[in-house]
Amino acid sequence: MEPSAFWHRIETLAAWLLALIWAAPLLYAFWAAFHPPHYAVHFSLTAPLTLANFVEAWQTAPFARYFLNTILYTTTTTALQFVLCTLAAYSFACYDWKGRDIAFALILIQLMVMPDQLLVVNYQTMTALKLVDSIPAISLPYIASAFGVFLLRQNFKQVPIALAEAARVEGAGPLTILMKVYVPLSKSVYLAYGLVSVSWHWNNFLWPLVITNSVTTRPITVGLSIFGSPENGVNFAIVSAGTLMSVAPLLVGFLLFQRQFVQSFMRAGIK
Amino acid sequence: MQIEVRSLQKNYGRVKAVRDVSFDVAEGQLRVILGPSGCGKTTVLRLIAGLEPVSAGSIRIAGVDVTLLPPDRRNISMVFQSYALFPHLSVRENIIFGLKVRKVPGPEIEKRLERVIELLGLGQRLDAKPGELSGGMQQRVALGRAIIAEKPVTLMDEPLSNLDAKLRNTMRREICALQRRLGISMVYVTHDQVEAMTMADRILLMREGRIVQDDVPESFYERPANVFVARFIGTPPMNILPLCNGGGGAALAPDGPVLYPGLDGSRFKLGIRPENLRLADEGHPAVVTGKEYLGSDTFIACAINGHEAIVRTRGMSDLAPGVPIHLTWDSKTLCLFDAHTEMRIEDAPEAEPLP
Repeated sequence: MEPSAFWHRIETLAAWLLALIWAAPLLYAFWAAFHPPHYAVHFSLTAPLTLANFVEAWQTAPFARYFLNTILYTTTTTALQFVLCTLAAYSFACYDWKGRDIAFALILIQLMVMPDQLLVVNYQTMTALKLVDSIPAISLPYIASAFGVFLLRQNFKQVPIALAEAARVEGAGPLTILMKVYVPLSKSVYLAYGLVSVSWHWNNFLWPLVITNSVTTRPITVGLSIFGSPENGVNFAIVSAGTLMSVAPLLVGFLLFQRQFVQSFMRAGIK
Repeated sequence: MQIEVRSLQKNYGRVKAVRDVSFDVAEGQLRVILGPSGCGKTTVLRLIAGLEPVSAGSIRIAGVDVTLLPPDRRNISMVFQSYALFPHLSVRENIIFGLKVRKVPGPEIEKRLERVIELLGLGQRLDAKPGELSGGMQQRVALGRAIIAEKPVTLMDEPLSNLDAKLRNTMRREICALQRRLGISMVYVTHDQVEAMTMADRILLMREGRIVQDDVPESFYERPANVFVARFIGTPPMNILPLCNGGGGAALAPDGPVLYPGLDGSRFKLGIRPENLRLADEGHPAVVTGKEYLGSDTFIACAINGHEAIVRTRGMSDLAPGVPIHLTWDSKTLCLFDAHTEMRIEDAPEAEPLP
């Protein structure tokens, strides 16, 4: 066997192994969720299939409300990020104003600050705004996304200036140029950024845990953790069913947009 | 006058891109701004369009001072070098983009679109995206977008430079015909002297931000303002030969026939077009140094007193390098240039005929 072919096989094997380790918790969740609680720690191929865990999980915790909260939180966040980042990126990419480069450098610095570091400060801000325990409070710290501004600015910069000039000659104002030239030409970036943002916020846990304390505001990640916390007595089958329910929309979304997902994460990694 | 440009200046920092440029464009005129790259011709066009603010000077379009107005209020349309078609819009949407932005009523848009499609032959590809079209078709769409606005002035920034030679010829004729038919005043920027000569009603030649000559095409060819213009217009360019002092006047060679009796040869250069040089049995001696066969013509390179000159002859030529020849010309076709300033001498005396 040629050495290159040999190494190729080793690589494939390693990739499969990694994927298996990565997917193991999810695979286990599938196993536990679809079988009676007894089989959660007892593997048997002949174990009977059941949906009872899902029914029980759905009835024990207000999952519907949690879902609604998560959907509200992720959509508001992403929508506001789109608006804010688009406007900021447009100004950074297409206009020349005093202090622009310094402002942009500050935004780049923000990329290096972990959101968790700002937990306390953000909490104080939300208290001052009297927004503690509300859905806007979960969103607000994230809407001025440095990553979004950066990504969109880079993309706007690649749009030929002649296009904007042609639109200008044809009578388009700054906002029309933005909406009719820059935004449509960056569709793929919006999709990529939207996917990254939605999946990140869908999974966001620490900040929502801190800022929310009622059923009407808690997103599903926080709800699930309370549901699965030891003081309630851990029932792996039901916790797994709840987990599956909470990640189901993302999983479906992933299957639908698989290619864009991979591309967008790659793009996000490269840029 | 449709466009009046007065003392136009544009500085980028300390670089003076346009220095004191003034010219007019008459109504219905096709005005070509010609010049080598970096001469400021595109900058002049962008200043007229209002895409850049002027540093000094004024621009009037149709009698209105537009120097400080934004592009959309200058009554102009523009075709960009890159065509600047919106890649996400179909051909139809590209053409009517401006009308929709300006909120022209739907039936009016349809009416104008129909006319433009017919003018440009775009009927089949209305729903295609620009990326699916050939260069020539993209060019037509860009033209369509400019025409449909029905503005009295159209600005063109090297619109043919991205096309292959054959298509360029076709589009050149099409643009000319369209301009005449619609009676638009057009400012057309190019670095291609063939385009300028064939299309222009009047040419403005620029160099290093300044106007070198502002004239009709014939004058550019026959009466170039200076050596630069003489060498820029015409393929092959005009032969420029230094004069020297012969016996009693200026001559091409110290021992050659005197062309300008009484003139100090060291102060002048002689210009003559390759087609005005003829091979003859008698005349000015020269030696063949090479030749280029083009089918209909042959360009014979020869040395006159050590300086190269090109002679244009019909058909094939069997002259080989090293062969001595004699050249003759019509004295009326000679141009005299100042050796120092390189400007053409307006009132030059007519040269003595060759013996």
